[in-house]
Amino acid sequence: MHDLENNILLIGYGRYGEKIAKFFEKKDIYIIEISQKNLQRARQDGFEKLFLIELEDDEALNHILSQKNFSHIFCALDDEEENVFFTITIKSFDKKVKIVAICESKESERKLKLAGADKVIDTMEGSASKIFHLIEKPAVMEAIEEILFEDEDIDIREIEIPPNSFLEKKHIKDINLKKLYNLILIGLIDKERGDSFVFITKGINHKIDAGDILVIIGYKEDIKRFIKDLKESV
Amino acid sequence: MNRLGSFLINLAFYLENSSRYKKTKEFFYNLLENEHYKYKKYFDYVMIIIIISSITIIIEEVNHPLYYWLNVYDIYIVTTIFIVEYILRLWVSDDRRRIIIEEFENSVFLETRFNTKKVLKRIWISIKDYILSPFSIIDLLAILPAYREIRILRIFVLFRAFKIFRYSKNTVQFLEVITSKRTELTILFLLVLFIVFISGVSLYVFEAKTNPNVHSLLDSFYWAFVTISTVGYGDITPKSTEARVFTIAIILSGLGLISFFTSIIVSSFTEKIDEIKEAKVLTKVDRLSYYYLICGYSHLAELLAQKLKNEKKNFLILETDPKKLEQAQKRGYLCIKEDASKKEVLEKIQLKDKVKAAICLAQNDIHNIFIALNIRSVSKSVPIISRTFSKNSYKKLELAGVDYIVSPYQTAGLIASKIITQPIAVEAISDILSKKKNAVCDEVEVLRNSFLENKTIEDIELNKYKLILLGVRRIDEKGKKFYFNPKDNFILKAGDLLIIMGYSISVSHFKSLVIESSLRYARFRK
Repeated sequence: MHDLENNILLIGYGRYGEKIAKFFEKKDIYIIEISQKNLQRARQDGFEKLFLIELEDDEALNHILSQKNFSHIFCALDDEEENVFFTITIKSFDKKVKIVAICESKESERKLKLAGADKVIDTMEGSASKIFHLIEKPAVMEAIEEILFEDEDIDIREIEIPPNSFLEKKHIKDINLKKLYNLILIGLIDKERGDSFVFITKGINHKIDAGDILVIIGYKEDIKRFIKDLKESV
Repeated sequence: MNRLGSFLINLAFYLENSSRYKKTKEFFYNLLENEHYKYKKYFDYVMIIIIISSITIIIEEVNHPLYYWLNVYDIYIVTTIFIVEYILRLWVSDDRRRIIIEEFENSVFLETRFNTKKVLKRIWISIKDYILSPFSIIDLLAILPAYREIRILRIFVLFRAFKIFRYSKNTVQFLEVITSKRTELTILFLLVLFIVFISGVSLYVFEAKTNPNVHSLLDSFYWAFVTISTVGYGDITPKSTEARVFTIAIILSGLGLISFFTSIIVSSFTEKIDEIKEAKVLTKVDRLSYYYLICGYSHLAELLAQKLKNEKKNFLILETDPKKLEQAQKRGYLCIKEDASKKEVLEKIQLKDKVKAAICLAQNDIHNIFIALNIRSVSKSVPIISRTFSKNSYKKLELAGVDYIVSPYQTAGLIASKIITQPIAVEAISDILSKKKNAVCDEVEVLRNSFLENKTIEDIELNKYKLILLGVRRIDEKGKKFYFNPKDNFILKAGDLLIIMGYSISVSHFKSLVIESSLRYARFRK
């Protein structure tokens, strides 16, 4: 769905940047760095599309941005302030470009959101949750790790309901995704009720319409089957 | 070898080999001196009550004749208890049989004669050291009032009040603070003596003949002391001009002495304040049955502490940087200014018995490795979780004994990789983990005889409780296994853990139902 053109711009190849870069195809990634040393490391790790710019050199940045149509931009420098600075600079060129920024505190998260970042990853909050679950609810942590990262066959996916599918106009409580497809429905965005995500355990009997987004967990095979059926029923 | 010598040696070895003797001694030591001993506080309470009763009797006696049995109680019973306590304390204060054994072994080794005199001298020194220690003196003085013939001894009843100090940790600390400034206080004391002497003599010389209130040298010393302490009763006042001029000088020096005294006390307290706070925290830790240990109050530690506090879990923070420590203190967390890489620190906080898990969150990997190694050296079993900064440290941390390594960078990478294609899903999961929207993921144990045991997934109808089942974790002979989204006919066994998701209120409701059903069965069986 999203893989039409996957050009990703990664700003920063420090501790965060190198980890993020690992998860993507090397050919898709463009890396901007402000430090020669980090860029050198990126080159050693096998990345080719590298740019070195000055922190306040807006023209150079704009030049890079205008060359390619980046689907996503990561601001992942180790310094939070620089992330905020890059976010606001890029947003000042182009409001529509999607920016994901890394931060380490609530304070920076707020600033990044103000600066226009579309998604903010608070790494410290995430790590703190992880440690908390590790010591208090180890089984939960293991289960989530297994589902999200370790078991390659399990996936968590969001699926947009196409118009006129077999689910349309049906109520959530009337369809049993577990029986039909062996899938777990976690929650959804019901466009009738606004743009926010609602957990299924809230107990609301949503009516499904085209454009709603379901978030499901399940085996990849089952998810594929479900998506196929959805498309075919149109 | 004389007879006394051989008797001492025999006695010492007899005691050394008697486990009953050692056990008895240990029991009394625990009861009297060991802060961590469970029953010490009850002993302390009883002693405090006895002391208060004794003081009450003395006050009552001033105006009313005493009942016979009250008198007996005060003179004989209380005194006997105090004497017994005094002797016991003297007994447990040192292992004196060791002195004899040591000397004997030395004499055998060096092939010299056993020196009875030297041994007795060493024993005497050990006893004397105890008798002359401040608390022991108070104990002794508290026994004296039993001898009613000398009236002044009655005042020593008040020393029974001082004895209360012994049973309260705070006052013991106060005394320690004061004694730490012994040199300064001695100087001050000498200075006061000197000034009282000079001014007392001067007043005597100036006014002994003319002032009707000054009868003796003692009167003028009394006057001098009342004046320099700035109390100034006014029962004796200088009359002559010379003496008055002189008095001005005394008053000025008195002001100086008072402020000197105040500053000594204040400064000794500010110097000791950390220790006092630490002692307070340690007492609190002592009362906990278990807690988590957080080493280093970094930003991550702050977030973790918040989560633990929300869940009402106990934890202790160790931090060496005073600024960070202050932040932790402001939030009311238990924290002490100590370095977790020191072995005695971990012993002091009873790591081995009370820490459920240790989390290393220092500012760099080197320090985390140090801390982990230190914890492992004290306890082989306590789980250690550590944060890491550099990817090169994984192996080292594992070698140091860390069970689980958390890397914020790794987490960031994982989230970033999913956030592009699945933004809503990622947010949902992170909401669950951080409990932002009250939706939580939790584990529920299938208790023996609860309504979950031996039922299928379909039977328990989790959606009725507004819960979602993500999976079941089962431990069997093969080890742990996670069954993701088990089929409807999956049968639950006791000991399985259900991994469920739902709003926190639904989760806690469901948990209580499970516990109740298990208990009901147990009651029914009875």
